[in-house]
Amino acid sequence: MDTLVLFTLNATWQIAALALLALGLALVFGLLRIMNMAHGEFVMLGAYAPVLTAQMGLPALAALPICLIMVGLTALVVERLVVRHLYARMFDSLLATWALSILMREGAELMFGRQFRNVALPVEGVTQIGDVGYPTYRLVVITLVALSFAALWVWYRRSATGLHLRAMVDNPALAQTSGINTARLSTMAFVAGCTFAGLAGLILAPTLGVSPGMGLDALIRSFFALIVGGLGTLEGLAIGALVIGGMQAGLSAAFSQTAGYLGVLILAILFLWRRPDGLYRRR
Amino acid sequence: MRLLTITTALFLAMAAGASAEVKLGVLVPDSGPAGLFGPSARQAAQLAADDINASGGINGEPVELRFADVGVPPAQAVEAVQRLWRAEGVQGFVGMHDSAVRAAIVGQLRGQVPYIYTAVYEGGECAPGTWVTGETPAQQLAPVIPWLAENEAASKWYLIGNDYNWPRDTNAAAQAIIAASGGEVVGEEYVPLGSSDFDASLGRIRSSGADAVLVTLVGGDSVGFNIAYAAFGLDAQALRLGTLIEENTLAGIGAANAGRLFASMGYFANIESDAARAYSDRIAAEFGVSAAQPNGMGQSVYDGMMLMAALGNAAGSLDTAAITAIADGTGYTSARGEAVLEGNHVAQTIYLADGSSGGFEVVASFDTVPHGVSCE
Repeated sequence: MDTLVLFTLNATWQIAALALLALGLALVFGLLRIMNMAHGEFVMLGAYAPVLTAQMGLPALAALPICLIMVGLTALVVERLVVRHLYARMFDSLLATWALSILMREGAELMFGRQFRNVALPVEGVTQIGDVGYPTYRLVVITLVALSFAALWVWYRRSATGLHLRAMVDNPALAQTSGINTARLSTMAFVAGCTFAGLAGLILAPTLGVSPGMGLDALIRSFFALIVGGLGTLEGLAIGALVIGGMQAGLSAAFSQTAGYLGVLILAILFLWRRPDGLYRRR
Repeated sequence: MRLLTITTALFLAMAAGASAEVKLGVLVPDSGPAGLFGPSARQAAQLAADDINASGGINGEPVELRFADVGVPPAQAVEAVQRLWRAEGVQGFVGMHDSAVRAAIVGQLRGQVPYIYTAVYEGGECAPGTWVTGETPAQQLAPVIPWLAENEAASKWYLIGNDYNWPRDTNAAAQAIIAASGGEVVGEEYVPLGSSDFDASLGRIRSSGADAVLVTLVGGDSVGFNIAYAAFGLDAQALRLGTLIEENTLAGIGAANAGRLFASMGYFANIESDAARAYSDRIAAEFGVSAAQPNGMGQSVYDGMMLMAALGNAAGSLDTAAITAIADGTGYTSARGEAVLEGNHVAQTIYLADGSSGGFEVVASFDTVPHGVSCE
C-alpha cells in the first residue's frame, strides 16, 4: 500500500514537473513551429535567478521579478534579432536556436562560472501522507501546476488573445487579413513561451541543482512529451507529460532507471515513425 | 680572432643554457563534463612549476609547461598529446582526465616518455612508463568503511553509481571491504550518466533498510541525487559516503541537503595542516579573483608534477628506462602530505571528511594507505 502511494506521488511529481518544463516549448514549437533548441537554456537562465538573487543579498521573493525580467528581455532580444526572420522555416529555426543554445550556455559559464550552484528550498520539510513522507515543496509544486494548467486552459478557450492565437495557427494569412497583428502576436507568444521555460527553471531549481549545462535534459524530455502528446494544444501537452512522465516513473520503479530511459526513447521513436501527430489530434 | 672565438663560444653556451628547459605537458579538461576542474587543475600545475623551479628545476633545468585540453573524446586528446610530444618537444606528461583518454594516451606514448596520471580512478593501470598518483578504490574505502562501522554504526550498505567502469570497480572493491568489516550489502544499482530522476532509487534505498549509502555518481548526477535524498528525509535513515564528492559538488548539493554526507579523498581544501593551508593561501594570492576553489581533482595535478620532478631528479633524466630503474620508493610531499611510489602507484594519506555543515570538516585521516593495485 505504502509502495503504491509513494509510486503514485512520484509519478504525479514527474508528470507535473514535465508538464511545467514542456509548457514553454509547447507554445514556441507547438504553435509557432519554431523548433527552439535553446528551450533548455531558457530553463537554465530562469534557474539562475534565485542564485543571482542570493548573490545580490535580496530577499528570496525577488527571484520572481528577476527571472521574469532576465528571461523575458533575453527572449525579446532573441526574437527581434533571430527568430523573427525564421517563422515557418522549421529547419532554419532549429539550426539558429541550436547556435543560440551554445551561446547562452557559454554566456552562463562566463557570467556565473561552471561550478554547481545550490538553491535553497522555499518550503522545507516532509509531509506525512499515511505512512509515506513526501517532500512538501513537491506537493506545493504539483498543486501549483495543476491549478495553472486549469487556468491556462480556460484562458486559452475564452480570451480574445487565445482566439487570435488559434486563428493564427490555423491560417496565418487569413488571420492577418482579418486584422490580427500576427507579427506582434508571434513576438508575444515566443517571449511568453521562453518566460514559461524560465519560470519552470525557477520553480524546479531547488529540486535539481543548477549548472550551465542543465538545459539539455529539459529540452529532450519536453520534446518527447510533445511528440507523444501532439502539437498545438494544452490537452496534447498534458497527455504527453502523462505518458512520458508516468512511463518513466513506472519503468524506473519496476525495473531500473535504464529501463525507464529506454522505454521513453523507444516510445518517442515509435511515435515519430508511426504516429507523428501524437495522441491528441486537433479536430 | 681568438677573442671572437671565445665570445662566440660563450654566446653559444649562454644560448644553449637559456633554451635548455624541461618542457612538461599538462593534460587537463578545459571542456566537457569535467571542464569544471580545468581552472583548478591549471593553477595547481602552475604552482607546482613555480615550486619545482624555485628548488632548482629538474636536474638543474627550469620546467616550462605546455597545456592541452583533454576534456574531449580520446581520439582528439591523443592528437593534442601527439602535437605536444612531436612538435613542441615535451619530455613528460602529467594528466588529469577520464580513463578512456588515459587508455588512448598510454597506447600512443607506449612508454617512450614518462606519463603520470593523477585523477581518482578505478585502479589497474600497469602500462610501462606510466605512474599513478590518483586515489584507488582500495585507498578510499579500505580504512574508511571500518571507521564508519565503528564510529557511525554503518553496517547495511546500499551501493549506487553511474553505469560505467569506475563505479562498478569501486563497488566491487567495496563489496569485499564491507564483508570484511562485518557489514552487508543490501542493494546495488547503476543509473545511466545524465540521470535527473532518482525517485525510484530512493524508494528502493528506503525499503532496503540501509543505514549507509555509497555514492559513486558523478558531477550533476551526484548533485541531483543528494538533493532528492535529503528532500525525502533519507539522511535520518542512512549516512552517505562519496568517493568523488569534492568542494564543487558539495556546493551544488547545498548545506541543507548535506546531513550525514561523508566524503573520502586524498585532498580537501581545509585539511588541518600547514602545507594544505599554505596551498590554499598561495592559490588565492597568486591568482586573485580568478583563483579557482581548490579541490581534490584539480589539486591532484600538483602531486603529479611533484612526482615527475622527484623521478627526473632521482634518475638524472626524464628517460623512461632510467626512471623505471629508480622509481620504486621515490617520494614527494604536497598539501596532501607524504606519498611514496610502491610499484607504479603511490601509498598516500586518505582523509575522511564530514560535509554536514555544507563545508568539509576532516574527521579522520589515514597515513600511508596502500593502493591495492597489483601489476604482476
